[in-house]
Amino acid sequence: MTYLKPLPQPNADDKFFWDGCREHRLLFQKCRNCGLVRWPPSIICPGCQSRDTRVIEATGNGKIYTYAVYHQAYHPGFEHEVPYTTAVIELGEGPHFLSNIVGCEPDKIKCDMPVKVIWEDITPEFSLPKFRPIL
Amino acid sequence: MTIKDKYAIAGLGYTPQGRIADRTALSFHAEAISNAINDAGLKARDIDGLICYRHFPSSGGEPDVTPYLVAQQVGLTPGVLSQEANCARSQLLNALGWLEMGLCKYVVISYAHNPLSGGDFFARAVDNLTKAVFGQFGATAGYAMAARRAMHTFHTGPETWKHIAVDQRKWANLNPIAQMQNRTLTFEDYYKSKWVVEPLRVPDNCLITDGGRACIVTTVERARDLKHPVVAVMGIGQHNTAYEIEQSLNMAGPTGARQSGEKAFDMAGITLSDIDACEIYDCFTYTVEITLQDYGFFKPGEGEDWFKGGTIGPGGRMPVNTSGGLLSEAYFMGLTQLTEAVMQLRGRCGKRQLGPETGTGTPEIILCSDNGAILQTHATVILRRL
Repeated sequence: MTYLKPLPQPNADDKFFWDGCREHRLLFQKCRNCGLVRWPPSIICPGCQSRDTRVIEATGNGKIYTYAVYHQAYHPGFEHEVPYTTAVIELGEGPHFLSNIVGCEPDKIKCDMPVKVIWEDITPEFSLPKFRPIL
Repeated sequence: MTIKDKYAIAGLGYTPQGRIADRTALSFHAEAISNAINDAGLKARDIDGLICYRHFPSSGGEPDVTPYLVAQQVGLTPGVLSQEANCARSQLLNALGWLEMGLCKYVVISYAHNPLSGGDFFARAVDNLTKAVFGQFGATAGYAMAARRAMHTFHTGPETWKHIAVDQRKWANLNPIAQMQNRTLTFEDYYKSKWVVEPLRVPDNCLITDGGRACIVTTVERARDLKHPVVAVMGIGQHNTAYEIEQSLNMAGPTGARQSGEKAFDMAGITLSDIDACEIYDCFTYTVEITLQDYGFFKPGEGEDWFKGGTIGPGGRMPVNTSGGLLSEAYFMGLTQLTEAVMQLRGRCGKRQLGPETGTGTPEIILCSDNGAILQTHATVILRRL
């Protein structure tokens, strides 16, 4: 079945992230100078402007910071999924990460709900991290 | 050194607005600017500064609208010009800077677009591929996320926002050029409306408009020689929280409005109690609530009590968005607010005129806000009739 939604288009800043997704690893840059874990990817740390960085793997645990439920499709690839939910996940390591909530009816979703990453393999090249409430 | 009461908005340009077929975006810039020049009693050769509000991708067979093309169509060769591309709301601040430096005498600021008739609804543009992967598109979703976080943080939600939608519609119903002039809105209509991106319904969203709007900024001295009563800038401020909404920690306030408002009130040397009316950037109803809250009109969670009973509508104790605003008049970004404030202070608002006509005092000082992207950029300007 053809995948109809927009695919990631990795660039020089975020290629490491999408490569990690293919291996079902949620990778982020962590500043070696101040310890800030950042998202989206950047060559300098927004906390202290250091370029001294290493990459860490996040556990995939977090909680819902906020969410939105789409009742209209803005792109044909999402027409059959309406209503669907996007959410900002506050990961345990710190970053606020945009993704989808899956496995939960939209009207049951609440801010601060604990969630865990699950992986959606959409093409041989790309897998997407999505989040399911921990019950 | 202060610029308080040194500069004035001296000319306004309106165009047809709504769904206007067979008009290019460029033609709306040209019409709005030429109408503003006429309104001020100036000539095109007097204009030596040009600021175009917002670049949009062109559609159909239309050229990319640049300030060069706008200048060419109107017949201007400005000493200074600019156009911004990402909704940063520093247009008026830039104009004042150019005037203060003595580089310009008369700066025109214009906005124009034709999304309804000319091309694609701009909110559908994919401007961030990583977000599009997860189905995140458009402004409504960003504000919906902010509004939801606000609902989690303090008492707010549709029961608060319905007052904003309904009361601003009442102003539009008094405005012959408002897109929603002949469509009423009750609380029942509001609750029955469709969700766009929950928790925001259709009436929580601003309009889409074909058309243009412009204003001319100059010194108070020069404005005194022109046609209309002088409307001066008492105070101006700006603050940009900047970060994308998905990374914001300010969704439930304080947004940029807090610092921007403080700067403007500081410069003006007044407090909230001196404000007669407000023209508040209303891309969404939630934007009006969080702006007024951050300006200090009420505390977090007190919005519903403050708005209820028609506070911001005709006859209310704090009129807001007296033309109908972006929600019910027309979408010209911050120029909708700024030009309406000037019209009110000039006494040109007919049935919606603040004063005996609508059961309030004649206004002297009006507070305006401008806000852009997803709560990322904020400007405040306080205008008064001299």
